[in-house]
Amino acid sequence: MAELTLGNVTKRFDDVVAVDDVSIEIDDGEFLVLVGPSGCGKSTTLRMIAGLETISDGRIAIDGDVVNDAPAQQRDIAMVFQSYALYPHMTVRENMRFGLEESTTLEKAEMDSRVEDAAETLEIDDLLERKPGELSGGQQQRVALGRAIVRDPAVFLMDEPLSNLDAKLRSGMRTELQRLQEELGVTTVYVTHDQTEAMTMSDRIAILDGGELQQVATPLECYHRPTNRFVAGFIGEPSMNFFDVSLEDGRLVDSDIEFEYPLSSVVRDSVGETTELVLGIRPEDVELLDARETAHDFPVVVDVVEPMGNENNLLVRFPDTDTESTFNVIVDGMCHVEAGKRYVIRIPESAIHVFDRETGAALHNREIEDETELLASRV
Amino acid sequence: MATADGTGRSVGDRIAEHRAELDTQRVVLYAVLVGLVGFYLSPLWAGLTTAFKSQAGFINTSPLEPPTPAWFTVEPWELAFATLQGGLVNSVMFVVPATILSALFGSFAAYGLTKLSWRGQVGILVIFLAGVFLPYQSVLVPLRQFWSIVDLAGLLAFAPVLANRADLLELTITHTAYGIPICTILFRSYYKTLGDEMIEAAKIDGANAFGIYKRIVLPLSLPMFAVTLIYQFTQVWNDLLFALVLVTSRSNYVVTQSLNELQGSMAQEYNIQMAGAFIAALPTIIIYIVFGRQFAKGITGAS
Repeated sequence: MAELTLGNVTKRFDDVVAVDDVSIEIDDGEFLVLVGPSGCGKSTTLRMIAGLETISDGRIAIDGDVVNDAPAQQRDIAMVFQSYALYPHMTVRENMRFGLEESTTLEKAEMDSRVEDAAETLEIDDLLERKPGELSGGQQQRVALGRAIVRDPAVFLMDEPLSNLDAKLRSGMRTELQRLQEELGVTTVYVTHDQTEAMTMSDRIAILDGGELQQVATPLECYHRPTNRFVAGFIGEPSMNFFDVSLEDGRLVDSDIEFEYPLSSVVRDSVGETTELVLGIRPEDVELLDARETAHDFPVVVDVVEPMGNENNLLVRFPDTDTESTFNVIVDGMCHVEAGKRYVIRIPESAIHVFDRETGAALHNREIEDETELLASRV
Repeated sequence: MATADGTGRSVGDRIAEHRAELDTQRVVLYAVLVGLVGFYLSPLWAGLTTAFKSQAGFINTSPLEPPTPAWFTVEPWELAFATLQGGLVNSVMFVVPATILSALFGSFAAYGLTKLSWRGQVGILVIFLAGVFLPYQSVLVPLRQFWSIVDLAGLLAFAPVLANRADLLELTITHTAYGIPICTILFRSYYKTLGDEMIEAAKIDGANAFGIYKRIVLPLSLPMFAVTLIYQFTQVWNDLLFALVLVTSRSNYVVTQSLNELQGSMAQEYNIQMAGAFIAALPTIIIYIVFGRQFAKGITGAS
């Protein structure tokens, strides 16, 4: 168990900057998820922590000891790979014992009892004498986890460990991994491109894009208080709707579609002098009405209705626009909506986000009651 | 049977017709295959029958005829074995170490060239590749000169047992060196298919470069060892050129040289020569049988 510090970590491959000045403090026992689109530098960051890539600049410290120059063998970490990377010629027992044999001087009996304990925790104790080739994907996954647990390392690193499992197994493993990490209390860095995994498993999420750290925060903070447009769009499924607008006389205006959205003074103050803006609203915050009542209500045409059972996922657009410019609205599953008909939507001012169009920075985020309580909690 | 189409033929007729067609095809196919088998086996067969005939039998019968009791004899085998005996022992003494060493060093080199990272790998690899294409004939003279300068027998003078066998030691070292490039290339292509993540997992598990080789890479390369062992053994065992250049004393003659001795100066005793050829070829066949299963795995890339 240990704290893990990344200080201004940078990785350059020749001319390409893969990871750019990333700084994160990870507390003892914390579950941090590194998330981002492919090529964002999340795996490279993990590999630098593991010691599988050199660090071009900055420092990585485990419990205060800088490990920049320590080889992977000496870092007291364990890693679970996407491909599981089991040793095919060894039995499950030998796979799990390998790390102990190579990195400790334990007695043979002690090694065996540790392997058996870990195997019991993961419910693979009946597979100990089998070889990886005879196991299913889910079982191999457990062996890979077992191999990491047995070592009792300071830090766990996981590189998309669930992405090779089918959907059902994945959600089960997600819960189990979380439970396991809580039980063991080992500092964990988990890499994924799947924002559901990031939201559900992590204590905190670190979002990377183009090698740069966008935000490090609790899942709900990232969801409700994104620091920029990228985070707002990346977290949440379906993702947040964005409209390019400009600020004119205290209203957000899109002259092409005669869209006018009056702002209250609170929002206007936080927006300040910037005029080129992006209005953001999450699909589930849009309300569907029968008739216009306020200045925040707009007529729309429903293009597609995707019934999910618990909710209806609507693709709607403003009248007189082409089908390219649809956006998402989620309404209750009991609400009957017909495709092709006209409705009115309300974009509540309490739920809007406003971003600077040029820099992408969030100028205003939605209002939340009981803010501190909600944002600190884990889903 | 009811007719199924307008032609009025029953289903049964059409099946029979189809079968007749199929049968003709098969008959032709098997005839060709049997012909090919005969074609390829006839020299072996002729050799085998000849080896069991007396000299008179060889002269009076066709080589393909099996030996009749009148002409049958195992004498050629006894005579051939008596001549080849020493060569067989000498050959085993240098072929086995040369084969194992070149496979082992090839495996080391390939591991270093694929799974470890260091500067200048490409340059080294190019040298290995060039080594594969170096013709034997082009190195004969420098090779002889090199071993004359080294004077292995002189260096080993303190141990007469070894000094007497200096020729064979020279052959061992020469064949090992000559075999390393091809073994390296073979192992390299195999190691490239081994997962990098597995090697990285072993690193994180605390194993150093040698530990990873010994416990992960080596056990997984057994099929490729079978391929290189069979290939190298056959190559080195059958070589005559290096032996002619390097082996000077008659007591160190290797099997290919002894086989050459069976060629009489006056009369050609084909029966003895044939028996000798079979005896000389036997070890390579045994190696194929012993490592055959692993060999097939290595060639198909299954593990």
